[in-house]
Amino acid sequence: MTTMPTTYSDLFYGISPYSWAYTGVGLALGTSIVGAAWGIFITGASLLGASVKAPRIRSKNLISVIFCEAVAIYGVIIAIILQGKISESHFAPGSAEYAKNAFSAYSIFWSGISVGLSNLVCGICVGITGSGCALSDAQTPETFVKILVIEIFGSALGLFGVIVAIIQSGDASFIKN
Amino acid sequence: MSSVEMEICPPSASFFGYMGVTCAIAFSNIGAAYGTAKSGVGIASMGVMNPGMVMRNIIPVVMAGVLGIYGLIVAVIISATIPAPISGVARYSLHAGFAHLAAGLSCGLSGLAAGMAIGIVGDTGVRAVGQQEKVYVGVVLILIFAEALGLYGLIVALILAQTKNDCGQD
Repeated sequence: MTTMPTTYSDLFYGISPYSWAYTGVGLALGTSIVGAAWGIFITGASLLGASVKAPRIRSKNLISVIFCEAVAIYGVIIAIILQGKISESHFAPGSAEYAKNAFSAYSIFWSGISVGLSNLVCGICVGITGSGCALSDAQTPETFVKILVIEIFGSALGLFGVIVAIIQSGDASFIKN
Repeated sequence: MSSVEMEICPPSASFFGYMGVTCAIAFSNIGAAYGTAKSGVGIASMGVMNPGMVMRNIIPVVMAGVLGIYGLIVAVIISATIPAPISGVARYSLHAGFAHLAAGLSCGLSGLAAGMAIGIVGDTGVRAVGQQEKVYVGVVLILIFAEALGLYGLIVALILAQTKNDCGQD
């Protein structure tokens, strides 16, 4: 008797929707924080090094660190929103509830990756630009505000990730029973 | 001879659809971030010696930011066309799911490539403009050609995103 060959759909039936959903939440928070931390250490190192010879730049350039911190806050907000959509329910693969729960799980997973990766690169970008800002401010003070404009363009990327994550997970909600 | 009966609308179709949404925004943002950071460092460096030219040289940063917006557009458009299942009945076909994945990948990876080009050209370009102002027009022309790569990805993605989602008679 021949057995039916399996399709990749069977693979998906075998993975619990909760694993997708919670992995998405965890990655949303984790990679956003990695991006924020990366940006903070890049800009902080340059800021402190440059203020040895030009201490006046110290307080003004902390704003670059704050831009990086905002990226972490975006990750926290999205992670809390996403985990609010997950609730415990009992269902079997192939049942009516499974379709909605699986849909929500994939949506939450990929929303988490969207916001996580966007915030990761946004944090690094703002950090590198903030580092350049501190170094050029130490030599030529009038460039500070102009380079800050570049940092604002950079932090918009994190916002794009947040917007996409909210729209992506708009329809997601686990069935409560 | 037994044949595998493929479901037209399995629940896992939305996995690939949403993967397309994520690819569109994530890869475009990587490209935009690279372009912004690389040219930002160049602008900061040349601003030390020539602060008057800094605002004119923000153009590579703006063009890199536009790549992020392309990714946002495609991500929102794809996301709006993925329907949730109603009372257990899936309404999203596998064909549409993979088409949306293709759309997201084409926009995202083109944006990534364009962002890298804009970053490297922008970095070297603004340093050159800081020393020789006549080079400015040449730099802008090269940046426009690099930006067009991201635009090609956007066009193909928008065409792919219009794939009809047909679950047949369930």
